[in-house]
Amino acid sequence: MPEAFRHESRKKSMTNKEKYINCFTQALEVPAEGVEKLEYQGVESWDSVGHMSLVAALEDAFGIQMDTDDIVDLSSFEKGIAIMKKYGVEI
Amino acid sequence: MGLDLLRGKVAVVTGAHRGIGLAILERFVQCGADVRVVNRRADPAFSERCRALEQEHGVRISECFADFEDEAQVKDAARALCAMKPAPDILVNNVGIAGSTMMFTMTKMEAVRRSFEVNLFSAIALTQALSRQMMRQKRGSIIFLSSSAAFDGGAGIDYSASKAAVIGAARRMAVELGKFGIRVNALAPGLTRTDMGAVTSQADQAQAASRAVLGRIAEPSEIADAAAFLASDLSRFVTGQVLRVDGGILR
Repeated sequence: MPEAFRHESRKKSMTNKEKYINCFTQALEVPAEGVEKLEYQGVESWDSVGHMSLVAALEDAFGIQMDTDDIVDLSSFEKGIAIMKKYGVEI
Repeated sequence: MGLDLLRGKVAVVTGAHRGIGLAILERFVQCGADVRVVNRRADPAFSERCRALEQEHGVRISECFADFEDEAQVKDAARALCAMKPAPDILVNNVGIAGSTMMFTMTKMEAVRRSFEVNLFSAIALTQALSRQMMRQKRGSIIFLSSSAAFDGGAGIDYSASKAAVIGAARRMAVELGKFGIRVNALAPGLTRTDMGAVTSQADQAQAASRAVLGRIAEPSEIADAAAFLASDLSRFVTGQVLRVDGGILR
């Protein structure tokens, strides 16, 4: 199986929780360990630019369009789970 | 002018039903852009004009609608635009109203708020949504329509103040969006031959023309040409600027 195809099919088989964590690790370039404790500006990469990268990653991963109010409210990993629920995404 | 300056680009233009907005729509499609317009309401004659422009220039024009005084409707329009693929390369925040021609001491705050809602707040809301798509692409050109009135106070308090505020908003956005490869500029037209301009008395129009070193007021197509420049890669190193298109009001 070609590598690119294997990668895509693995993405499809991921749980929502795995996808959610993936968004943080990739957008903010942080390891998965400790990701659940992350808060806005708690690490250097989660600044305003990182925040918009994270929002883009979440929107792409779950096929949603976040409202500005929710983008502002996305202040932590935990808070994000509640926000995702508003868009019908159970983490 | 068929320069293909914007071939392959997608533009969003607000308030394209008439005046400067219509001229921008026409110039952009002549330059090869697909255009998504956001107008206040549907108009069969306008739609027919769009179909003719599509045929003539081999582009696509789509329409959506919003009452720009209603934040919820502007957000709905923004959501609809964000759902369209591909994402836009260009946003022209053109829609505007000029409410009061009275002295500011006789202008109701309601009229001032209404102009700010349309001229500034709706543009900020739309730009918030669409700039996020541009951020992903790492490119984009956003153009705000200010006015010479922002500099010389040449209109009612609501218009002059809201068009000055537009410049502040554009400059701040230029600062924040530059790192994403997105340019933000403003156009400041002088008095222009449009329906809005026509509410100005003949005497005031003559005075406006006499203040410009070119000795006349602007045609909408001349503002549209400046918009095409700011939208295109010809202005790729221009951001955070206000381009006055006023025939040279120098004193």
